[in-house]
Parts: sequence; structure tokens; C-alpha cells
Amino acid sequence: MKTNGEMSATDLVSMTVIYNRLVGIVEEMGTTMMRASYSPIFSESLDFSCVLFGRDANMLAQTEFSPAQVGAIRFVVKWLIAEIGEDNLKPGDVVVHNDPYRGGAHMPEHVVIKPVYYKGELFGYVANIAHMVEIGGMAVGGFAATATEVYQEGLRLPPVWLMREGEYNHDIWRIVMANHRAPRYSWGDLHAMLASLDIAEKRVHELLDVYGLERITTISAQLQDYAERWMREELRTVPDGEYTFEDHMEDASDPPMKDWVRLRVVVDDGSVIADFTGSDPQGPHVLNCTYGVTASGVYNAIFNLVDDDIPHNEGSYRPITVIAPPGTITNVMEPGPSVGGNTETHPRLWEIVLGAMSKAVPDRVAAATGGTSCNFLFGGVHPHTGRFYAHYHFDGVGWGGRSHADGNDNLCVPNGNCRATPVEIFETRYPFVEWSYRLRNDSGGPGEHRGGLGSERVLEVRAPEINVSALYDRMVSPPWGLFGGGAAATSSLLVKRAGDDEFRTFREAYGTKSNSRIANIKLKRGDRVMLCSSGGGGFGRPTDRPAELVLEDVLDGYVSVEAARDFYGVEIESSNGETVLNDDKTEAHRTASRPEGESW
Amino acid sequence: MDSDFAGIRVGVDTGGTFTDLVAMDVRTGHVQVHKRPSTPAQPSDAIFECIEQMDAPASRISYLVVGTTVAINSIHQRNGARVIYVTTRGFEDIPFLQRTNRRFHYDLQWSSPTPLVLRRDSVGVPERIDYQGEVLIPLSDDGLDQLAADIRRRLDGAARGDVALAINFLFSYVSPDHELMTRDYLRRKFPDVPVSVSYEVAPIWREYDRASTTLVDAYVRPLVHQFVQSMQAGLEERGFDRHWSLMKSNGGQMLSQSAADRPVQTLLSGLSGGIIAGRHFGEAVGQSNVITLDMGGTSTDVGVVVDGLVRYTTEWEIEFGLPVSAPFIDMTTIGAGGGSIAFINKGGLLQVGPSSAGAVPGPACYGQGGDRPTVTDANIALGRLNPDNFLGGEVKLHPDLAVQAVGSLSGSLGTSVEATAAAIVDVANENIAEAIRQMTIGRGLDPREFAIVAFGGAGPLHAAAIARSIGVEQVIVPPHPGLTSAFGTLLADLRVDKTWTNIVRSDRLDPKAIDDRLQGLVLDATEDLRREGYGGVPTLRRSVTMRYLGQNYEEEIPIPAGPITAESARDLLESFHQHYEQIYGYRIADEIIEMVQFNVTVIGRTDNPRFPEIEAGPDAAPVGTRSVLFDGQYVADCPIYDRDDLAPDQKIEGPAIIEELDSTTFLRPGDSLTVTRDGTAIVQIDATAD
Repeated sequence: MKTNGEMSATDLVSMTVIYNRLVGIVEEMGTTMMRASYSPIFSESLDFSCVLFGRDANMLAQTEFSPAQVGAIRFVVKWLIAEIGEDNLKPGDVVVHNDPYRGGAHMPEHVVIKPVYYKGELFGYVANIAHMVEIGGMAVGGFAATATEVYQEGLRLPPVWLMREGEYNHDIWRIVMANHRAPRYSWGDLHAMLASLDIAEKRVHELLDVYGLERITTISAQLQDYAERWMREELRTVPDGEYTFEDHMEDASDPPMKDWVRLRVVVDDGSVIADFTGSDPQGPHVLNCTYGVTASGVYNAIFNLVDDDIPHNEGSYRPITVIAPPGTITNVMEPGPSVGGNTETHPRLWEIVLGAMSKAVPDRVAAATGGTSCNFLFGGVHPHTGRFYAHYHFDGVGWGGRSHADGNDNLCVPNGNCRATPVEIFETRYPFVEWSYRLRNDSGGPGEHRGGLGSERVLEVRAPEINVSALYDRMVSPPWGLFGGGAAATSSLLVKRAGDDEFRTFREAYGTKSNSRIANIKLKRGDRVMLCSSGGGGFGRPTDRPAELVLEDVLDGYVSVEAARDFYGVEIESSNGETVLNDDKTEAHRTASRPEGESW
Repeated sequence: MDSDFAGIRVGVDTGGTFTDLVAMDVRTGHVQVHKRPSTPAQPSDAIFECIEQMDAPASRISYLVVGTTVAINSIHQRNGARVIYVTTRGFEDIPFLQRTNRRFHYDLQWSSPTPLVLRRDSVGVPERIDYQGEVLIPLSDDGLDQLAADIRRRLDGAARGDVALAINFLFSYVSPDHELMTRDYLRRKFPDVPVSVSYEVAPIWREYDRASTTLVDAYVRPLVHQFVQSMQAGLEERGFDRHWSLMKSNGGQMLSQSAADRPVQTLLSGLSGGIIAGRHFGEAVGQSNVITLDMGGTSTDVGVVVDGLVRYTTEWEIEFGLPVSAPFIDMTTIGAGGGSIAFINKGGLLQVGPSSAGAVPGPACYGQGGDRPTVTDANIALGRLNPDNFLGGEVKLHPDLAVQAVGSLSGSLGTSVEATAAAIVDVANENIAEAIRQMTIGRGLDPREFAIVAFGGAGPLHAAAIARSIGVEQVIVPPHPGLTSAFGTLLADLRVDKTWTNIVRSDRLDPKAIDDRLQGLVLDATEDLRREGYGGVPTLRRSVTMRYLGQNYEEEIPIPAGPITAESARDLLESFHQHYEQIYGYRIADEIIEMVQFNVTVIGRTDNPRFPEIEAGPDAAPVGTRSVLFDGQYVADCPIYDRDDLAPDQKIEGPAIIEELDSTTFLRPGDSLTVTRDGTAIVQIDATAD
């Protein structure tokens, strides 16, 4: 609070102004990307992030699009500069890179980075990290859910030049276009990424014209110190101590497989160490995390516990240390696959950190989210256009109840912050018809603060064939509640083949090994799939929820009459066509469920 | 409308704090202005109070335009209709599923916006149309009868006047048949329940955006209707028997009755007058590129006029996640006004706003118990505001309390009171400057090619510093800056926007079909314009949004006059390529282009009144001097002028301060000010000063 040192009032104003300008630049990058891109995953879902770095590869500013990406990109950029060396870069160069073992997040996540020079001197870098939909590999949609090695997951690019001094490096483009299944999309999306870099470079130049290289560099460093100071101050409000928690990832095979993640958090005078020692070894499956993904999950959770106004630059990360032993599920070694680490394991790590911290700061945490991205990938030739398409579909989940409020319904998992593709855009682009899209009643975990609801969609194939893959989690073990709150509904993925009269699991319908990891299943015309996302866990005992609120939930269909009775101890009945509370029975239920020795 | 120019033209602006009225006698040029505290419970009361203060009876009013916040307030206060949402079965939850993204990455405590409908009031109808307009499930009589029963059950027990219906079926923008059939059926069944239909309110794709917009239309309908009725009754009582108009969010005006029929268009009715006025005052001094800066007590509204044209958008949100897709004047509101509170955040940096001291307790210097420093307190501490002449001396300010409040931050910042006050003003100015950058640079415009038109109570005080920060060289201060928005309502044209979403691929393009449909849109729009009260020949603008096949966002390209032919269609496609290349740096020459949304705007121009010329006379002398802090230096004897004394063509060199009833203009050393014939002040900014 009092440590502004020698800075004058002018410096203080300049810091605010320059930070706002830096954030303005990355936001404009994001708008450019959104508008110019080809794939709905960018234009509708915004699954990309834009970041500015200083010459020392320290983060200056980020956009709020995807927390997992901005956490990982720090490592990518540091690695990339260390590997190729800043002396080997020239103005107009753009380097691309998606290698999970070089600081990356997972194979679909492509980083493009452009050095920015000012009057012949290197100022820093503009970078865009984006989830490309089709990158080749064993399954359509860049998401080989059953992969056992990285080589099956798509085309891996170490840091290579996409552009050299403003000119196309055609060899690389030709390799990329020859390996991706929908090259037209890859071409359009890569150009949208390049356009975002160009606009950012221009804006950085304009900023440097006004303030000069030295002043911007100095103030950027001050901004990082400022963010660090503030972050430490916030972390000092968390009681010092050691906090532990564990949970697992799963495979809905028979019997289900579990991979445990174990965490010990040490909070000590404004710094945090998150240690995953003791977690299970990496598996021959896609739920492994790169170090970048694990660190991102921790940063993401910690940032949710502190003031959201702290500038999210390099300084805000400094007080946080992440220990993830190599060869475990939290730090995968080559050639372990990792595509689901970013989408499934990251949210679990985030929840595990909150679970641990619930013992320290119960009023700031939440119960578990639905905890799966509900990845559903598909592709084929569109019968109307004759063109090949590929799409990465995901769904929102219920979020956990909080100390003061219910959990939100149907939100993107915490590793991302993506928008759902509208039904009307989805059907215009892809040969499915959607028969329903709704909230799943009773899917939120019961609690004084109820968990949010997951969603349910039914899609029917309107083409001769669509090739689908999927990766889900939380099909077996439900999202947990906190402080007496109940668990939420699990996720599910079901299929009703044309001519069949009921929805079945993929194991039943196709004999797949797993219900939650499937690849390259060929759906035919008339087949229907039902995608159900999990809810969020409840917070606090459901019997502490005011009966009037339970009644409202029943009137609005969030909670059934049966669940109101069974979980909340609230009796609701019909009286003269009105749905009303039965106060006597409610009191009886609630008295019976009261723990021994407690009084109301 | 020629006869309208015989009497008195009246413009009204209903703000959160004050209701302003500007009246202008067309023949004599006599202008009168009135200001009353707003009456949110019954907004027409304050308007009638203003009308009664006029020195002529209401029967002499020939022309009345009202900017109102009725619609937006009913949403903010959540006191609108109980809406029953009628939609495609299986998709009843669209308003609740929303978009799945969060306001902030890392704010676990954020809760998603509450829709304007209860989930229990969302009713599905068996019907389905696909993306090509093909009927997959027909709308049946049984389905409609069941719907009527579902609605009737909800109407029983609800106060009739408070219920409204909103219909939104999937793909209605491709084929509205089912929506229109349902509308007609429901109108027959429930003649006194208003119906909003998505195809009529917002025929756009993206079902959630369309749902949200249609819900807003239904939600605000009873209150807007009630406002129009109470205005009508009160006006008739006072002998006014003509048509009158409301401002629309698109900066045009529409007859009051039409506004009641399409209330979503009045959402930002109360905000658009300022930008229209800004355009006028810019044009009056030969500036067709202006940035409007309306800085009041709690916030600042920024708008942009390019080549004399106001910019529009259809993307606007009530709050994060609650979109409204209707034509809006493109503007930004920043939480930076005179009452914005300065504080030191937990990281130790000085911040200003968005929280405001409001009218009560107000800034510390009001002496009403506020002790937190505001922008106004900082200006008092710097000597820039006159404590004895605030609102013409009506409000007595206490400089000692201002200094004390500002000083409360000095300790932790380690700076003097003066430096702290200067920093507070600078941070507020920079917040506004950054918003202007996003409105200009962020949209491919160079702010250095613009002038700022500054108004609102605090605009003229801050505009020079903001101008310098963004490289603007000229600031225009209209006469009566506190009433500029009200004056703007007198300048609004009649304007109707029509859109048609229909995806047309460049390789399957039928120019004749497009031409027919565009002509149909023009006829519809012109018809509406006549219904809204225009009798002349309207100005027509057409445009189409386009994208490369596969993209989901479009760029808007104007369609030149003349029929759509194979040749003009080719030119249009080439215009898109060129426009795209200019923005993104590349074109995709061999790619198919999709035309997505066709837009038609018809405008009925109104003759603009002008402020009368001010009296010629000798240059005014300063009315006094006081000590004012400029850039860290005190100017002990800074001259103070009374704006009402200034003569036409008078020139004043900074440093100087010009005071008037409702505003203060601030000239830094090096800046200079000249006065035009109608009393507008033009400030030339010294670009060399830092």
C-alpha cells in the first residue's frame, strides 16, 4: 500500500494510462481475430488468447478469453526465445509452434508470435494462442480421444517460421496444408491470427511513438512490480499453512479407470507453493498435463481467490510456484499424449486447488464445477456444399454453489471462457438438426446454495455419414459438494441409432472400450446423439436452504418435487391448482434430518 | 410539416438527475431553457413542470420531441411486464442457457444475468423450421390451442395490464411463417395482451440474441405505453393537440404512437440527443468529423461522427450477457464524471470511478456529509472551478472540504495536495481518452482528424486536456452546454431502419431477387416513415454485410444507388475485397463471398433550428482573477470571464477560465478561444504543450 517508492504522481498516472493502453491493444487483437477467423471455435466461441510480452519474455498484458491459454503461453514464449534466440529473429518474422513438450498446452493450441522492433531495437513480442480445429492425426477435429502417443494427435510443429521478414515461408505452409484435413479453414484461421499480430504491432508502434521505448520499458517493469506487490498483499489475507486435497480423473470403461491427482498447498507470507508430488504416473491416455497446463490450472484457481483488479501481467504470477514431478499426470514426458489435459484435467486441478483452499478461505471458494468440456468432435463432407468440414463442439456445465450464492447454470469450464455456438449457426454450417437444447432439471448438487445445472442436447444426423469422436469426464464420479452440499449429476453421452427405440451408451451401441473416450465412430443418417453435461456441486447443507427458495426452484423446474423432499426436506404439494409448501411436513422432514446434538 | 415552423419547437431530455427543456420560437428566434429535477416515478411530471415554466402556453408548441429513459430504467429497476415467452418446443431454455461465457476470467463470485422472463413462463410449441426454411414439424391447430390454454392459465390471477407475450421460433429470420401465424392466432385469442414477435423486432440469426431482444421489447412495452399515454393526456389537458415524437436509440425520432408499438427502439432514447447536437455544432463551424463528449455528474458519454454521419451499431448489451440487437447510435459510457470518486486501490495506484458520490451526499465540497474526494473536489482544489459560482451560485461549495478530501489521499501517495488533485483530474481525463481511442483507433479512425464537441456540465472543463492526450486540435463548446442533449432532440431527423438476413453466396447470386427484396424493404421503410409523420421525399441509404464463406462476422459495405444488376453485384463484391484488405491486410481473392444482412435506412430530414446570434459589442473584459494551478504551476492572476458577456469574434488566450450558469470552460496556457456569431466557443489546442 505504501510502497510506491520514489514515483511521482505523474508516474502513477502514466502507469494507469499505459496499462490501459496495453490491455486495449490485446483487446483489439482479439476483436480482429474474432471477426476474420473461419472457424466458429474462434468467431463464436472465442477459443484463443492474445498476449503482449516484453523483450525479456515477461508478460505485459493479456486478453480475458481463455485462462488455460494465457497461463501456458508464458512458458511457450520463454521456451521459444530460448530455443531460437532473439538474434535469429528479424522484423516481419512470425514463428508458429504447438509442441506440448516445448512449453505448450496441447497439440491443437497453436501459438504465433511476432517480434516487435522500434527504431531497429527489439521491444518485445505480440502473440496469439488459438485452438485450431483440424490438425490431422488419427481422428477428425484435432482431438484423438483414444490416442496413446503424441504422434496420433496431429501435426506437431516445433518453433518454425511461418513468415520471414513479411514473406510467406511456403515450405511450412505446404506442410501444414498437406496434413490438416480442412486446409481451407486452417488457412483462413492462420491468416486471422496473423492479422491480429499485425494490428498489435502497429498499435505498439503508436504507443512507442508517444512514450518512447525507454519509458514504456521502465513503466512496464514498474507495472509488474506493482502487480506482484498487490498479489502478495492479497495472498497475505489467506491464513498461512498447509492444505491438501485429492481427486481423480476417470475413464468410463468397464471397470472404470482412475488416475489420482494429489496436491499439497503451502501458503507462507504472501507466497503459494502448489506441490503435486504423489500424483499418479502419466498414463497411456490423453488426460496427461504438460507442465504449462498444470501451472495454468493453479494460476487460474489462485487468481479466482484474489482481487480481480490485479493486473494480470508477469508480476501477478511471481508469488506462485508449481511443483509437478516429471512423468506424472501433472507433467507429461514424450511421447505421452495430452490433448485432454488442457480440457479435462485443467478444470480438475482448478477444483483441487479450490478444494484445498476451502479449508483456509471457505467464503471465497466454490464446490466442484461440472468439470468436463464435453468435447464432441465431428467432421465429414457436407451434402449441400460438397466440402469437407470439421468442428469442435463443447458444452457448458453447472458451476458449484458459493458461500453467498447458487452456482451458475451452463457455463464453460474454468480452463476456458468460450461461448456456445448458436443452434442456428451450428445447423447452417453442419449437417445436424438439433431437436432440443435445455437445462437438465435436478442436475445441480443440492445445497444451501444450490449447484448450477448442466445442459442436454439431442442432435440428429442429416447426412449419409458423420465421423464423431468424444472425450468426456465426470461420467462416473459426480462433481462434489462442499460443507454438507450434495454432489451433482454426472455427465453422459448417449446414442440412438436409426431404427433403435432408445438411447444407449457407446459401449452398448458400438462396443467401444469406453463411454467417455471414443474416436472415429461413423454415425449414419437418422442416428441421434444426446449430449448431457454435468451439474455443479452444492455448497452448505440443503436443509439450510430456505423452503421458499426451494419452492421457487420447483416452480421454475430447477428442482423436482421428489428432490425437494429427498434432499432439501421440503414438502411441496398441489392445492387447488397451486403449487405450495406444506409447512408441517417440511418441518418434520427437516427436524428428522438435523444432525444429532444440533439445534436450529 | 411546414406549419410546424410557425410556433415554438420544444426539445426535452430526461436525464437521471435533471429533466431539461429547450424551447425555440421559430419566428423570433427567442430561446428559453428550463431545468427541473427528474421525477422517475412518473417521468412526465417533470416534463410538464418544465412546460409550465415556459413563457407561452402549451397550445403554442408546434413541435415536441422527447428523449426518455423510461424503457432503460424499467430494465435496470426490473419493474417491467411479466413476459410469457413462446418458442419452439425443446428450446424453452434458450434465455436461461445464455452464451456460456463469463464476464471475467477470474471472478468466481460473478453471477450470470437474470433473464427478463421466469423459467416457469417459457412455453414450447411443437413446430420446427430448418436453416433453409424447410418445415420439419408443421405448426398445428392442436399445438396452438394447447399454447392458448398454457397462456390462459398464466393470465388467470395476473394483472392483465402487466403481461406481455414474446414469440421467438428457431430460424424465423429465414421463414417467419410460423411466428406470424402464432401472432395472429394469439391476437385473436388475447386481444388486449401485447405481442412482440422476433421476426418483427430483430430478424437476425443467433437465437439467443434474438430471444433477448424480443424479451426486452415485450418487457418494457407496458411502461413505455403508459408513459406515452400519460404524456398524451397531460399535453391535451394543456391545450396541445398535435403529434409529438420520441427519440429513438438510432438518433432518429418517431411518432409517440409508433414508439409505443416498437418500444425496444426507445431503449437509449435519452442518450442520442447529445450526439445529434454534437454533429450539428461541428457542422456549424465546418467540422464534419467530431467526437462528442458529454460529461455529467456520474458518467461521460462518447460518440463519434464521421463525415457528418453518426455511426451505428446493432450490438449492445444491457449488462454483460444480455444483448439487444436493435439499431443504436454507437456510443460508449464511461464511469467518469464530476462526482466520480478517487481512491487508492489495494495495489497502491490512484483510480477514479466508476463509483460516484451521486447527488447525495455528492462531492465533499457540497458540504452534505461526503468525505471522499471526487473529480469536482479536485477541480476546486486546483482553483479551476469557482466555489461561489457553481450552478450560477445556487449551490455554495466549500473549498476547505474539497482540499481536506483530496488531502486524505496525499498521505498514502506521498504527494502534495495539489499534485494529488492534478493526478485525480489526469486519471479521469485519461480514462475518457482511452475510451475515445477505442471508439476511434479501435475502429480504424485517426482521432487527430477530429474535433471534440464538449458539453454536459463538466465536458468543457476537461475537454482541452483530453484533446491534447489524443492529438485533437480543436474543441467546440456549444452555447448552454448543460442543455445540449435537449437541444439535440430538436435536431433529430425521422429515421427508419430495416434489415433482412438472408444468406446469398456469390457463386449462386440472383441480382433480380435481391433487387426485388431491397425495393420491398425500401417501400416498407418509407411506409413506416410516413406513418411516423414524414411527408417529404426521404433520403435513402442501403448496405449489405458480407464475409468470406466460412467466417461468422461480416463487414458492412454501402450499396450505391441504382438497381442491383450482375455488374453492380460484381462491383459490390470487389468493394468487399478492398474493404477487407484495408482492415486485415490481405484478401482471399478466389474465395466465395456470402452476403448476409441487407440494410435499408430511410431518413426524413427536419429543418434544423439554430441558436440566435449573440449581440455584437466590444470584447468582454475579465470579471475577475483567481489563482489557478496549471501543469504544476500556479497562475496567480488567471483571468475569469463570464461567458454571457463574450462578443462575437472575441478571442481569448489561455490561461483563462470562462464561467457560465451550468458549465466552466478551461483554457491552458497556449490554448486560445474564439467566439462565433451564435455564441459557440472554439478552443484551439496548443499541440506543442505536453
